[in-house]
Amino acid sequence: MDKHKNPTVTLSVNNDTVFLPVIVSFIEKTALAMGLSESGAMSLTLAGEEIFSYLCRMASPDDKVTINCTRGGWYVKVEFSFFIKDFDLQAFNLTSTVCIEDDKSLEDMGLLIASRFVDRFRYSEEKDEGIRLTLIKEKDYPVIGIEGPALPPFLSEYSIRRADPEELKTFALLASSFYREQVIPQFFNYPGKLVDMIASGEYQCVLAVDRKGHVGGGIVWGWAGIKTVECYGPYIFNQGEGSPIAERLLDACLGAIAKTPALGLLNRLSTPDLPQTYFEKLGELRISDKEGSSTDLPAWFRQMQEDPGSTVWAHKDLEGWLRGEYQRLVFPREIRTVTEAGETRAPFSVLSVIFDRQEGMATLQPVRYGSDAEETLANYLRLFEKEALGNIFFEMDLMDAWQACFTPALLNLGFRPRMVLPYAGAGDQVIFQRSSGLP
Amino acid sequence: MISAYIDRLVPAYVRHFEAYVPSKPDDELMKLYGCAGLFRLNNNENPLGPPPEAQKVINRFPPPRASIYPSGDAYHLRHKLAERFGLEPDQFLVGNGANEVIGFVIKAFCQEGDNIITADKTFAVYEWVARFSGFEARLVPLKDMGFDDEGMIGRIDERTKILFICNPNNPTGAWWNKDRLRRFLDRISGRRIVVVDEAYCEFVDKDDFPDGISLIREYPNLVIFRTFSKMYALAGLRIGYLAGDKDTVDVIRRTCVVYSINSLAQEAALAAIDDREHILRTRTMVREGKEIVLAGLERLGLPYVNGEGNFIMIKLPMSDSLAYRKLMKYGIMVRTMTGFRFPNYIRLTISGREPMEAFIEALAKIL
Repeated sequence: MDKHKNPTVTLSVNNDTVFLPVIVSFIEKTALAMGLSESGAMSLTLAGEEIFSYLCRMASPDDKVTINCTRGGWYVKVEFSFFIKDFDLQAFNLTSTVCIEDDKSLEDMGLLIASRFVDRFRYSEEKDEGIRLTLIKEKDYPVIGIEGPALPPFLSEYSIRRADPEELKTFALLASSFYREQVIPQFFNYPGKLVDMIASGEYQCVLAVDRKGHVGGGIVWGWAGIKTVECYGPYIFNQGEGSPIAERLLDACLGAIAKTPALGLLNRLSTPDLPQTYFEKLGELRISDKEGSSTDLPAWFRQMQEDPGSTVWAHKDLEGWLRGEYQRLVFPREIRTVTEAGETRAPFSVLSVIFDRQEGMATLQPVRYGSDAEETLANYLRLFEKEALGNIFFEMDLMDAWQACFTPALLNLGFRPRMVLPYAGAGDQVIFQRSSGLP
Repeated sequence: MISAYIDRLVPAYVRHFEAYVPSKPDDELMKLYGCAGLFRLNNNENPLGPPPEAQKVINRFPPPRASIYPSGDAYHLRHKLAERFGLEPDQFLVGNGANEVIGFVIKAFCQEGDNIITADKTFAVYEWVARFSGFEARLVPLKDMGFDDEGMIGRIDERTKILFICNPNNPTGAWWNKDRLRRFLDRISGRRIVVVDEAYCEFVDKDDFPDGISLIREYPNLVIFRTFSKMYALAGLRIGYLAGDKDTVDVIRRTCVVYSINSLAQEAALAAIDDREHILRTRTMVREGKEIVLAGLERLGLPYVNGEGNFIMIKLPMSDSLAYRKLMKYGIMVRTMTGFRFPNYIRLTISGREPMEAFIEALAKIL
């Protein structure tokens, strides 16, 4: 699976409001050229404008920012990257500059406003690469009709192969017709989007197709992190119980990623057609929809290589749970516990958020630990409530000892560890979920 | 994470290539998995150890010799191989394991835009070396667990330089007989380099199994790989070689790194090569070991792929990587096959009675 480079246009300017019209024009024209609709380009431009204005307020006009606009096939991505010496990272806490209880104050918060204009927003700090703010706006696609394609016949002979665009659309429509919506990814509702996702090379798909073009099933996969690939399916249509198609599709997926950097294959939308003997069950996440109903979605994992063992860091409040999980999953880990020895902590914590507003989801990632961890987390929770985001997660990378220090604050605020994802970050990752509504 | 400056220096085909991470040393693994002992059944090593004469060489090696450079081109060993196979010394190149000579051949014949052809489910290093050197590796699906000659020929184009065949194939043990290899070489008719990797040939006791080295006179485009790591149990010393037509080897020698094989490896190999008894003893051990394992697998109802070589593949009703972790808890180390594109299979090195029985016992427990 190639991680090929998508076309990118770059602009580099100083953090000076005099360049604001340049930024606005750059993002708007590039977004239109890269395929966004006028309204989509406008949203992305407004988000970019908010970001740049925010940076101008926070940084010196001598500091530079680089803006990369990238065409991703079904989306346009705008990244603001910068090194700012002695920059107050706390400024990137979305909750840092306003009173959460005050709606007027919220409206003044540039980063939050920016996040509302786009489909995905994230802030990250990369070692040696500085700070990066990423905005992603997806193209508009028509929703599929209610009527799906006709039921395919039982395929006595078929081949497992890459799909052409029309077959992909048929596959998406069949999957949407035959499976409940909780177990198909949202992008299947937009067949044109699936076609663009596959064409971009970021996702791949193989189908079981007979000589007459009937689609008996398929599987889609793409990167979900640096070392993890996520698959959707196999989805099987009218092929009877015990059909070997599911295993053949999965074999094709595994063969394609066998010699890539992938250390794990993840499936979070499992169906009865998932060959469970290929996977290990990591745990479950409870996902709520906008109507308030919720579904428990198990996460299935398959390690792609032999586990060499590793050392992880954990707070003593998490150690017992973690040890139990490693024992259950038979992962060889040496657990080291972090200790509080009265050392002086930084006064403030910094958290990054990945918003997925379509899924009503917010995922917190720690950037820096400080003595106000619980207060900062609590502010975020109040913010998410106001933003009507019901699915709140916290990803803790066990490679970094300092991240374990967030554990007491998380537990106090109702987060619970839900699963360990092996090698999902720099090391293993524990996914905490805010427990409201959880058993 | 590398700096942007360094990143700009890295070719795209290297940037997107993932380094192979070897397993940790046994003592570290035993500590992590909490096992008291470890049966290494993952690398197709020979548990009998090197032939007796080679062991004597290793025991007698005088420590001061470690300060002296080895023969840069394994002079004595090449002469011995020439005598043994009836060729000239310059028809052999010795490498730091057969892995090293794979690199020599690819570097000698491939340039930008060229490709090599091999199977999708075979020893991975042909594909790896081609890819991280910037060349396309065309992978032809196995047919009946063996190399598909017609499929490989069908993928040849004007930029194809080398076809790699593993005979018998690792990990399936399937093999081409003399007629089939000849027919293939005749179809290629000297226009491409054909490499036949015979790393496991000494384990094969079949009359029509081809001795690739004997075909070199007829096919100057044929290059044979052999190793001292498997049958001769010198894996820890890293030594292997290639043989071919003198002119062909002369080209390959231009890309060959000299002084890469240490003195002890050269001398141990020299002492090992004539020991026919060692081969027979090992074959007996493999035959008996397979009997134990196959009987156990039949009892457990597990499908397997048993070809030639000191290994078999076993299909499990669980993820092979999970099985690896569970078996490690019992001190059994096998090779997972997902990386070979055989998901849910493990490859087991055939060994003596005790490890084979321990393996079957552990396997029964984890299923």
